[in-house]
Amino acid sequence: MSLSDSQNIEEATTSLQSQPDAKTRRYDRQLRLWAATGQNALEASRILLLSATATSTSILKNLVLPGIGHFTILDAATVTPEDAGNNFFLEGPDSIGKNRADEAVRLLGELNDGVEGKAVQESVEDVLEKKPEWIKGFTLVIAHNLKAKVVQQLSDLLWEDEAGPGLIVVKSAGFLAEFSIQFHDHAVIESHSESAPSLRITEPFPTLLEHATALDLSKMDPTDHSHVPYVVLLVRALEDWKKNHGGNPPKTFPEKKEFKKTISALKVKMDEENFEEAENQAYRCWTETKIPSEVSSLFELPAPSLSSDPNTLQFHALLTALKEFTLTQHPHTLPLSATLPDMHTSTESYIHLQKLYKARAGEDKATFNTLLAKVPGGAEITDDVVDSFLKNCHAVRVLRGRKWGTFDADREALTTALQTSPRETSTHLAFSALSALPSDASPTEESLRAAVHGIVGQDIELPEEFDNAIGEIARSPTADLPTTSAFLGGLVAQEAIKMITKQYVPINGHCVIDLVETWTGVIS
Amino acid sequence: MAAVVHPGQASHLGDWAGRYFHIDQVLDKPGPRTDPSFLAGDGVKKFLREECKILVIGAGGLGCEILANLALLGFKDIHVIDMDTIDISNLNRQFLFRQKDVGQPKATVAAEFIMKRVPGVKVTPYFGKIQDKDDDYYMQFNLVVCGLDSIEARRWMNATLVNLVDPENPESLKPLIDGGTEGFKGQARVILPTVTSCYECSLDMLNKPTAFPICTIANTPRLPEHCIEWASVLEWPRIWKDKKMDTDDPEHIGWLYGVAAARAKEFKIEGVTWALTQGVVKNIIPAIASTNAIIAAACCNEAFKIATSSAAYLNNYFMLIGTDSVYSYTFIHEQRPECPVCGGESVEISISRDFTVESLIEMLTEKQHIQIKKPSLSTPTKQIYLQAPPQLEAATRPNLEKKVSELVADGGEVTVTASSLPFSLSLRITYT
Ligand SMILES: [Zn+2]
Repeated sequence: MSLSDSQNIEEATTSLQSQPDAKTRRYDRQLRLWAATGQNALEASRILLLSATATSTSILKNLVLPGIGHFTILDAATVTPEDAGNNFFLEGPDSIGKNRADEAVRLLGELNDGVEGKAVQESVEDVLEKKPEWIKGFTLVIAHNLKAKVVQQLSDLLWEDEAGPGLIVVKSAGFLAEFSIQFHDHAVIESHSESAPSLRITEPFPTLLEHATALDLSKMDPTDHSHVPYVVLLVRALEDWKKNHGGNPPKTFPEKKEFKKTISALKVKMDEENFEEAENQAYRCWTETKIPSEVSSLFELPAPSLSSDPNTLQFHALLTALKEFTLTQHPHTLPLSATLPDMHTSTESYIHLQKLYKARAGEDKATFNTLLAKVPGGAEITDDVVDSFLKNCHAVRVLRGRKWGTFDADREALTTALQTSPRETSTHLAFSALSALPSDASPTEESLRAAVHGIVGQDIELPEEFDNAIGEIARSPTADLPTTSAFLGGLVAQEAIKMITKQYVPINGHCVIDLVETWTGVIS
Repeated sequence: MAAVVHPGQASHLGDWAGRYFHIDQVLDKPGPRTDPSFLAGDGVKKFLREECKILVIGAGGLGCEILANLALLGFKDIHVIDMDTIDISNLNRQFLFRQKDVGQPKATVAAEFIMKRVPGVKVTPYFGKIQDKDDDYYMQFNLVVCGLDSIEARRWMNATLVNLVDPENPESLKPLIDGGTEGFKGQARVILPTVTSCYECSLDMLNKPTAFPICTIANTPRLPEHCIEWASVLEWPRIWKDKKMDTDDPEHIGWLYGVAAARAKEFKIEGVTWALTQGVVKNIIPAIASTNAIIAAACCNEAFKIATSSAAYLNNYFMLIGTDSVYSYTFIHEQRPECPVCGGESVEISISRDFTVESLIEMLTEKQHIQIKKPSLSTPTKQIYLQAPPQLEAATRPNLEKKVSELVADGGEVTVTASSLPFSLSLRITYT
């Protein structure tokens, strides 16, 4: 018998998908992380890399492979023998003497036919002077080892426009590195948080409560008894408990213990897994909150200005409707999520419970849509976005970014950070010093120390970790080590992907890397 | 190339003046935290570039990155082992491979690419299994870097390198640097066989694979995954008998998908798709270039530091989570005294006198820090149960139903072996 003779397949293949196309297969392992929506965002993105150093090409490699739409490398330099020794996207001695951007774009382009690459043989300084607006035409701008003066200009340029591209500033020397991202606001609907939405055990919606109270456990046959889903058991047990405790859930430790005992006492056989699950999940009866505090705190955010980027404005409209929902709709929870986790029960009762959740989630969505339609811009939001927002509304995030350089100008924040995160802050300051030194100077521990005092003032106290940081930078101030650049290339690309797809949560602050001791840390 | 070799500069091994400008900065001078034993200068460069022999296990997601890093760092004698061929789904991250290479051996294509791109580096590929090689083969290397996705293969490699250690011969201690990734997460670690915690010591840190109880699959499916498991675990062998399921064959996946979808329809379960079917039956782990780049870089950075002493190496575990900001944790994973590979002490197991041999076997497969599939059990004097060869399996099978207490005295030792693992585990059984 061959596969095609199988009866089953003939019966089943009507209305089935066929094997995914070549592109889907190529991207399969990443689509499982960010799905088609994330992939579309990547494919629509345009990335600008300032210079084609080993670190820059490492970053780009990790963005070209997953399929960004376009990248431009801006670099007027000619490949030196030193470049040819540490950059995988140059062809060794054969590339020496050629334009660095041209060579890198050619070799990076081989990684993915679907990505467009362009080399622009100009210096950043020239472009900033002659056609600064051109830089704003990208989704994201990434700069590696530029001098502080140039970064300042870039930062000013990109900050003035709230909907303008984000700026990732990357620095490295020898075993040390750091990077930060400049953005205004960054709203994330799909944070891929590990926290699950509420099952509403403490605030059961009417059909769930009805279903739970209608149960007569004492009259059930043993199989059905062992198939009552734990969610239903908990709703029922909590309801019964509240009746006997003045409407209150279990509060004290002894009460909680007793509550669990009442569940266990309902077992008719020792090994009923659904009751064991109910006992293990009983904590939900006293920990579930109406609205997670991370979400309710977002309700207090000031409205973004009308010049913000469309994503921020759309997110704010959704958030406004969500707040309205929680204020006006009894019992003042978030809209119900239709996602039901697996639990020990029969197919029938699971599907039945799932239907109850789906029906209620549908009603909540309809109410939410009515409220959203009244919010400016709300009516234009697509159904897919609303669905995604409601599915994830228990874990949405907003990052309020800061302009590049804000941290270094904030004496108080620096002093605190030097105490709480001495090694991270020391390394960060050492890099600030390095990029502030003139490019023709060869940095020494003394000049780096002096430069730090120039930035943060003479009287700031620097911890011993600072000696390690400037010592390491003075050892190898211009070394773009292959492993440091590969490490940074991975980290910065991860952050770029998070920024572009608006999925997962990017850093907000400075990420510092020490590959002597192999650690990373984020300070802000 | 001759045009770029400056007069008076070494031109051997494909080098050119300025080639190691970046790396030499950390090899010509110590840093503030560098160990005083570091001898900056020509000696360390010569060892790295002319003498050090390094083995890379795996030429996949991590392997491609590892090879490129090592070549740029100046390692010139690199060997790589991989038993896989290139699949289209590798191309989103395994950057040494192109569409035209699909179907070719990973080790060979990767080795050729590196040698073409980085002049003077010799990469020797082996298209096959790590188990094909003997102790003499592994003895020739100074370092081993492991970028595998298989737990079995890592356990084998780890145990082999621990067994290789001869206290009389310091050269026999081969540092093992191991990396692994999953989505935005990953880890890198340095294992000094017998000195630090080994891979086996940390088995309990692995995520428990999701296993669905067979009764759920057979009787009470609720999730699309349950329907897919039904198709692959129960229906495939029923319909196709001994025909082996090939999860890389789209016809096979298509059949499983069809069967799973039909079952899902019958039970009104939503969500069976081609991608999910493939994901469940192949146990697909999401993978992206950027995470592989981070972890491979961390591994190679350790290899470089161990080979050169230019900075202290990682002691001994680095884990990274990139899903919410960048979170990482560097810590010392402690050696486990009862580790069957590097510990030497027996594992204490306390069971009731009624416990059967079969239950004991089940317990060994499930325990997080043991995880031995198909264990064979024996005492110093008798065989309790052997999985192979068939005649011994048949002869010892009646013991499965017996109580352990009938076969092993209180406080007695049981030796557990498995064909997939080059070591044995010693259990000390006590009765409650
Ligand atoms: Zn061990």
